[in-house]
Amino acid sequence: MEVLREKVEEEEEAEREEAAERAEWARMEKMMRPVEVRKEENTLKQETLRDLEKKLSEIQITVSAELPAFTKDTIDISKLPVSYKTNTPKEEHLLQVADNFSCQYSHLCPDRVPLFLHPLNECEVPKFVSTTLRPTLMPYPELYNWDSCAQFVSDFLTMVPLPDPLKPPSHLYSSTTVLKYQKGNCFDFSTLLCSMLIGSGYDAYCVNGYGSLDLCHMDLTREVCPLTVKPKETIKKEEKVLPKKYTIKPPRDLCSRFEQEQEVKKQQEIRAQEKKRLREEEERLMEAEKAKPDALHGLRVHSWVLVLSGKREVPENFFIDPFTGHSYSTQDEHFLGIESLWNHKNYWINMQDCWNCCKDLIFDLGDPVRWEYMLLGTDKSQLSLTEEDDSGINDEDDVENLVSLSSSRRPQLTVSTAFETRCPNGKKVIQYKRAKLEKWAPYLNSNGLVSRLTTYEDLQCTNILEIKEWYQNREDMLELKHINKTTDLKTDYFKPGHPQALRVHSYKSMQPEMDRVIEFYETARVDGLMKREETPRTMTEYYQGRPDFLSYRHASFGPRVKKLTLSSAESNPRPIVKITERFFRNPAKPAEEDVAERVFLVAEERIQLRYHCREDHITASKREFLRRTEVDSKGNKIIMTPDMCISFEVEPMEHTKKLLYQYEAMMHLKREEKLSRHQVWESELEVLEILKLREEEEAAHTLTISIYDTKRNEKSKEYREAMERMMHEEHLRQVETQLDYLAPFLAQLPPGEKLTRWQAVRLKDECLSDFKQRLINKANLIQARFEKETQELQKKQQWYQENQVTLTPEDEDLYLSYCSQAMFRIRILEQRLNRHKELAPLKYLALEEKLYKDPRLGELQKIFA
Amino acid sequence: MNRPCNSMEPRVMDDDMLKLAVGDQGPQEEAGQLAKQEGILFKDVLSLQLDFRNILRIDNLWQFENLRKLQLDNNIIEKIEGLENLAHLVWLDLSFNNIETIEGLDTLVNLEDLSLFNNRISKIDSLDALVKLQVLSLGNNRIDNMMNIIYLRRFKCLRTLSLSRNPISEAEDYKMFICAYLPDLVYLDYRRIDDHTKKLAEAKHQYSIDELKHRENLMQAQLEDEQARREELEKHKTAFVEHLNGSFLFDSMYAEDSEGNKLSYLPGVGELLETYKDKFVIICVNIFEYGLKQQEKRKTELDTFSECVHEAIQENQEQGKRKIAKFEEKHLSSLSAIREESELRNIEKMILECSADISELFDALMTLEMQLVEQLEETINMFERNIVDMVGLFIENVQSLMAQCRDLENHHHEKLLEISISTLEKIVEGDLGEDLPNDLRAGHFQKFNYVEASGTF
Repeated sequence: MEVLREKVEEEEEAEREEAAERAEWARMEKMMRPVEVRKEENTLKQETLRDLEKKLSEIQITVSAELPAFTKDTIDISKLPVSYKTNTPKEEHLLQVADNFSCQYSHLCPDRVPLFLHPLNECEVPKFVSTTLRPTLMPYPELYNWDSCAQFVSDFLTMVPLPDPLKPPSHLYSSTTVLKYQKGNCFDFSTLLCSMLIGSGYDAYCVNGYGSLDLCHMDLTREVCPLTVKPKETIKKEEKVLPKKYTIKPPRDLCSRFEQEQEVKKQQEIRAQEKKRLREEEERLMEAEKAKPDALHGLRVHSWVLVLSGKREVPENFFIDPFTGHSYSTQDEHFLGIESLWNHKNYWINMQDCWNCCKDLIFDLGDPVRWEYMLLGTDKSQLSLTEEDDSGINDEDDVENLVSLSSSRRPQLTVSTAFETRCPNGKKVIQYKRAKLEKWAPYLNSNGLVSRLTTYEDLQCTNILEIKEWYQNREDMLELKHINKTTDLKTDYFKPGHPQALRVHSYKSMQPEMDRVIEFYETARVDGLMKREETPRTMTEYYQGRPDFLSYRHASFGPRVKKLTLSSAESNPRPIVKITERFFRNPAKPAEEDVAERVFLVAEERIQLRYHCREDHITASKREFLRRTEVDSKGNKIIMTPDMCISFEVEPMEHTKKLLYQYEAMMHLKREEKLSRHQVWESELEVLEILKLREEEEAAHTLTISIYDTKRNEKSKEYREAMERMMHEEHLRQVETQLDYLAPFLAQLPPGEKLTRWQAVRLKDECLSDFKQRLINKANLIQARFEKETQELQKKQQWYQENQVTLTPEDEDLYLSYCSQAMFRIRILEQRLNRHKELAPLKYLALEEKLYKDPRLGELQKIFA
Repeated sequence: MNRPCNSMEPRVMDDDMLKLAVGDQGPQEEAGQLAKQEGILFKDVLSLQLDFRNILRIDNLWQFENLRKLQLDNNIIEKIEGLENLAHLVWLDLSFNNIETIEGLDTLVNLEDLSLFNNRISKIDSLDALVKLQVLSLGNNRIDNMMNIIYLRRFKCLRTLSLSRNPISEAEDYKMFICAYLPDLVYLDYRRIDDHTKKLAEAKHQYSIDELKHRENLMQAQLEDEQARREELEKHKTAFVEHLNGSFLFDSMYAEDSEGNKLSYLPGVGELLETYKDKFVIICVNIFEYGLKQQEKRKTELDTFSECVHEAIQENQEQGKRKIAKFEEKHLSSLSAIREESELRNIEKMILECSADISELFDALMTLEMQLVEQLEETINMFERNIVDMVGLFIENVQSLMAQCRDLENHHHEKLLEISISTLEKIVEGDLGEDLPNDLRAGHFQKFNYVEASGTF
């Protein structure tokens, strides 16, 4: 029933609004509305008006259908503090002031819409808007800056459109409620954001004004997704190196200048044509993308946040749209006008003309001509002191700090565990122009996925261009997965800490010996490998920071030879055709001995060496070895002949001509070749291993939990709980040991009096005798049990001897087991008794000792002293 | 001695012996065959072993320029000599010989390991050049003075020392003393020195070591001071203003002038001299500062010049390298083409093409070279002009300052003359009494003498 009635109410309200609207249309001639509206109004005919009416009513209906979840009766107001339900006298006073102000305002400016001053809160109590703002500094360091705050608000709340897009809402819920239900309209958004920003020290204001359709409906489909925008390459300012005094003059240029000019001209023409074509295309695209004109342009009420420069090193005034969390300049064309703005201390009305959106507005709140303030005495109104009488507010000298006083009664805003969840239900989808962004809370997806950006080729979002997936807290340190749908190229980016020190892995398939590029964190690797590129026939590796100065190794493979061996399980490596290795310059060696590049032509049995170039030289030494071993005519093995080594030396040296030197160099190279081949083979194995590991990781996708994450980290939680339990037990034990043995006796005496000596002695004796008695009782008890047990055993034995003949084997077993148990019990009791006998005197003495030392029985010591 | 082959005749280190040794110790197997084929040059030999050969005198080693390791142990060498050319020597073994004094090691700056075990050495000395010394073996010698240890303090790299079976190793304090005075030592007499011993030794000899250290530090500081002063002076010299930042010039002017010194006893002259000196020194300092500034300017000029020249050369070389790389690529391909070609005529044609390429490359490189030479010549001329201008300006300015000095001098001279003449007149009148020194007074009666004295400036 209630819902029904509400609907009726809302409809009635809508009708009333329409009427008011119509009246307003007539009054719109003067100002305070953007120019578009006026233009429209001039050409407004009866038909369009009717259309408008229709549209309006439609909107009403859709809104009320959309919003059943967040009406008053779903809000549990019972738990809210009293200050939400009532108004203090001061608040009442403030409301009166506000009413008065509003009256005067509507009297002075009859053509403007009524002020948004004191909407009802969730408890149906009118509250002044400034008191709804609750400056709060969040305990999360991430939320200290405005951008993260705005992002948080936009992520955290679900956007609900205004019930009436042309009017401020009738209710403005407190931020506590908004945070709890994670839903709200633009006013709720901006109130929350403003509270947070003021709390963290910004000069922020809530703005009640008019925005574009996109802005009001949080429609980002015509915005370019900020994540897809490539950061503009900062154009390096080419530092014009002043030509030094002695810079040599370039050689004379002997080319024809005329020909050059002609060439340039021709190219320019071509370029101009190209540009023109491009521009046309672009225009066509732009046309397609352009929004349909909005019939209600300039009338849609919106609320956002204004941040003024000055505090927190903000260099310039700017707007924040709380829905998206983006910042806009105050000149942005999405913002069409401002009615009023407020912070937690005061309320200002815009007295400037908004015909040109907000572009001409001047945000000097101290200027009473431009900004009409409501309360006197806040820091912004100093300028207006001389004009106090004209301002129409004469009676609030004592109201100065009313607002701050009344708002201090509200509880601080808190964002509980939900902070981490960010989005409602942990998921949020934002549609951008040609892109879709999905967000999830950390740990929500079992594979650590936190956001996914899908980029489309067309505006309709049907053809996927590429997908980017961001991950968090993954054990394999995967950070970003980039899939290019057109080329089918997948690229994985890793954070430092992967067991194989992976940095980037781009591939088309996980099969080995295919195209792939793997980059590594070279400092985490022993061999300093930076990058390994693979194609089906080659493998190239780049190194850095190696002690042997190797920088590059390229291996090309031949086709695999089919082996007919039985052991098919053995790996069959591809034959290596050629290995090229390059080295950095080793400063410890002279250049003509420092190899820059060596090529092992394995198939041709040749080795080519190229040395580094010496400084001031432009040629480098070279050497080529023929590795083939030959046999001379007599059948002797030729060890080394001069033609086995062809060399070009920049500065020929004596010792390098020697065969011995060449022989040794060749032997060394042979060994090196073997090593290099082994290295290549090992690299191949490593690739296989990495691929296997990656597959396993993808399958397992375990998430790591920080040791500081006390909630999620099971291990630390267990440990902590165990510690707590131990502490508790320890505490209990302490309490036990501290049991007061004197208490029952002291209780007999009148409290608060000092004991006399006689009393003390008696007390001691009593205590001791009592203890003695207890010891004896205990001994007796044990003795009694012992005897009882013995008797029973005897009885049983008797019974057994009597019935021994007739017993079944089971009974006999039973008897025997009983006997052994009984014997065990008896033995234990005996032991306990003995132990008690031993310990009892000691315990007695210990108690006596303690009693002597007890401060309450100080009198005793005196006797013995 | 204690050698079994004592009866053998002493042998001479001649060429045959060395060749034999080199051949024996050279490469083996396949490489050995090659080596035999070609012969080994002595200067290629890195290590040589000449032990148990009854060598009396080290000789004929001058060819082994690159020798790293030389073993001459178990011979009857009496004097260390003939090692001057072996500058690369790292390891020298002269143990079991009859050496009495350490000498002839001054050129072996790279020596790291020196063994003089079982000789007749009585004093550790003449090792100053061996700054890289790490291992020193002096066991079984005749060293008897502890102070020899202190000499070893200068070897910062010394880690291993052996002094066993010397007279000093008998001393009860031997080990402690060495540990204390050579704290960087790790092995002594084939054993590692444990930290405990080190600490004990340090505690025991702390005072004397502290004193020693103090002295060493003082010496060090003095040396550094000296060095700094010399550098400063050098700097001033390059600026051509040495000794101008004080009263050196003034003092030197008066240093040889005994007459002038006498004059300063005249009344009023002392004051005059003082002001004269002050002014003079101020001008000197001006010259000095100006000179330094000019020097700085010249230096920056020179720096830019050399930088530019360097850049130009670099650039030129880059171009040359590119050309050569391009050529090489082409050359390689044409070479392989020639190799594969079978027709003789074609081959000849290709070879012709190749040589054409080569001459083209030659031309290109020569052009580059000539271009560079031209460019550099121009730049050098410009630099020369600038420097000459600068120096001219400097000289002019200094001359004007010197002229000021001269004016000052003349002025002073006039004043002095005035005073002298008035003093003379007074003396003539007999006013001036006892307050002049005797020798001056004696000469004052001769006016001639007087004026001459003041005219010496």
